Amino acid sequence: MSEPRVHGIVLCGVGGQGVLSLAQIVLEALRRTGLFTLQSEIHGMSQRGGSVHAQVCYAEVPLSSPIIDEGSAELLIALEPLEALRYVAMLRVNGHLVVSEEPQLDMDGYPPLADVYAALKAVRGAHLVDTEDLARRLNHRQAGGMVLLGLASTFLPVPNSTWREVIAQRFEPKGSLITKRNLAAFEAGRGLAPAKTGA
Amino acid sequence: MMDGTLALGAEAVGCAAFDAGIKGAFGYPGTPSTEGFEFVEAMIRAEPEGRVAQWAANEKVAYDLALGVSYAGHRTLVTMKHVGLNVALDAYANSALTGVRGGLVLLVADDPGMHSSQNEQDSRRLAEFAWLPCLEPSTVQECYDFTLRSFELSEALGVPVMVRLVTRLAHCRAALTRQPTLTPTGLGVVPRESVQDWVLIPSNARHRYVELLAKQPRMLQELRAMNTLVAGTDRRGVVVAGMGRAYFQQLALEHPALAALPRLEIAAYPVDPALEAAFLAEVDEAYVFEEDYPVLEARLGLRGTCQIHGRLDGTISRTGELTPRQLKEALALETEAGKAPSSLDLPIRAPRFCDGCGHLDAFEALQEALKNLGHPEARVFGDIGCYTLAAQEPLSALHAVVEMGASISMAVGAALAGQTPAVAVIGDSTFGHSGLPALLTAVDASANITVLILDNRVVGMTGQQPSQALDQVERMVLGLGVPEAQVQVLAPLPKQHLVNVRAVEEALQYPGPSVLVFRRECIQSLRRGVLKAHDRDEKARLEQACCTPEVQP
Repeated sequence: MSEPRVHGIVLCGVGGQGVLSLAQIVLEALRRTGLFTLQSEIHGMSQRGGSVHAQVCYAEVPLSSPIIDEGSAELLIALEPLEALRYVAMLRVNGHLVVSEEPQLDMDGYPPLADVYAALKAVRGAHLVDTEDLARRLNHRQAGGMVLLGLASTFLPVPNSTWREVIAQRFEPKGSLITKRNLAAFEAGRGLAPAKTGA
Repeated sequence: MMDGTLALGAEAVGCAAFDAGIKGAFGYPGTPSTEGFEFVEAMIRAEPEGRVAQWAANEKVAYDLALGVSYAGHRTLVTMKHVGLNVALDAYANSALTGVRGGLVLLVADDPGMHSSQNEQDSRRLAEFAWLPCLEPSTVQECYDFTLRSFELSEALGVPVMVRLVTRLAHCRAALTRQPTLTPTGLGVVPRESVQDWVLIPSNARHRYVELLAKQPRMLQELRAMNTLVAGTDRRGVVVAGMGRAYFQQLALEHPALAALPRLEIAAYPVDPALEAAFLAEVDEAYVFEEDYPVLEARLGLRGTCQIHGRLDGTISRTGELTPRQLKEALALETEAGKAPSSLDLPIRAPRFCDGCGHLDAFEALQEALKNLGHPEARVFGDIGCYTLAAQEPLSALHAVVEMGASISMAVGAALAGQTPAVAVIGDSTFGHSGLPALLTAVDASANITVLILDNRVVGMTGQQPSQALDQVERMVLGLGVPEAQVQVLAPLPKQHLVNVRAVEEALQYPGPSVLVFRRECIQSLRRGVLKAHDRDEKARLEQACCTPEVQP
């Protein structure tokens, strides 16, 4: 029996960080898993270094609304800590937040970083990721997004092989080295997942 | 066939136009419509076979190009954003009278909530104004299906058909099921006996207007099947259109009780008044969920048969985007209490100039020159493009931004009214779009204005499409009659700052029209290599020209 419940994922960050390409990977992976999917994105003026966000909805039944209501997202993937705070209220009570600790400070009035981290840590289900450190260890400057996706993937009903397939296809045009590095970053992210209990 | 093409709503329209067998696609970039043209352009580039895709200098030109293709007997698509239709309105409204030969479909993308626009006008009102049909999809698949249907309707009714999207749908990505692609076929040029239909001198236009009005009952008849009345047992009903239809459908899935509400689903305009009456007879009160203006709501309210709830009575906010939350609240459905919003004060992260953008150097030169001449408070007329960002803090360098091309004309008006200095700042693409006629008037009026044309060689903001005025701006300016001594091409680079400041000062002091072209390629297009092939070919051409001895005739 198919459940009519709609599941929502919010992705956010700053223009240029790759929020929309990450959303497309998530969309494609869910779709290949046989789920009905829709993605909504807001760009345009926001390309110029402003806040960017996208939503991916999925369900076992056909969907018509590309956006979800506040308080109903299962997962928030944030490429930037301050941007994460803008969308926390999109999450359902038991939703997960996967967020990079790496700030994009080029804006006026960025709050003290300690306050931002404290606010994030106060969110139940928050997983703060030191993407900067991981990128250094992986020797891959732009690993952040893939690391976050790796961790986030553990909260989504997509087999690991499908994720790997979609990521590989996405980066294929850029060569095998870049594909390998992104897959490695994704796996590093998966390794950060908290140990599952029960399941 | 070909299930699963992932496409944005706007792209689905372009894809359908290709599959409908268009001969030509035209448009002017504008968020959120741009991807519609770009998608069909890519398809045409891959499989030209006599098809053309061409960006136009502005939306009116784009529309007229499409009308020309239709006149020649072929199917055609033209794309623009909502405010672009204002520019093309003369062509659009009058093409209702000429009618079409080959099917003509207009993709218009509205921007409720003004994500990337200066207003949130509703294009459905313009379709009604022009007495033309408008189809309004609510899903990506409908974007595709309705566009195919629009070509058939256009040819069956002999009029242009509008496909109206809003940002949420234009930028919604989903899998698409395509139909087989039709080969472009021609109906042949407008036949001799119909030529008078296309010559809108008053004696012909009067006939054509009568004939357009006479087509209205057939329009209703052709569109009737797209609008449906779903019966229910409740005395409360809903009217849903566009994203309102999509959001309601989703809610109904999660709240099966909503099926008891009689439902009027609108996907095509004009709406048959008999259908509206049949719906109203079923209900004592009705909720209207439509995106943008209260178009259906106002129509139903005028009948005065029942209470109508929507944007006009404050059930839904009067402005901004429709949201699923607004539907839930209107229908008194429970809303989920999610996580608490952050208590930290979150300053807005406003869009900003890219690091190293040449526009910044141009503005710095302008501001310093104005200060040096004792006009630090001078009002500067701006225009539409990335450079509009200069209106914000900390630059605050632009003091009016209204619509495409307004900078020059407003500066001329202010100058004629005695304002000195009168300065306009406009981009190269916007100059080609609608700055040209304004500058012609400036020259004719000998207006004391200084125009800065910020030439980044592309249409920067919408994704670095090539500018039609590529490297020609100064020749265009000279051709319009600006004296040669008053036209300068400058490089907006930090190391050129002093030279640039001096050039602006001189232009400001000249008591007539002067134009400074600040030319440096957009750093985003440079990074992507958008003009690389063009510049290489151009360089080769110049080298060839200088090394080949000229043969005198």
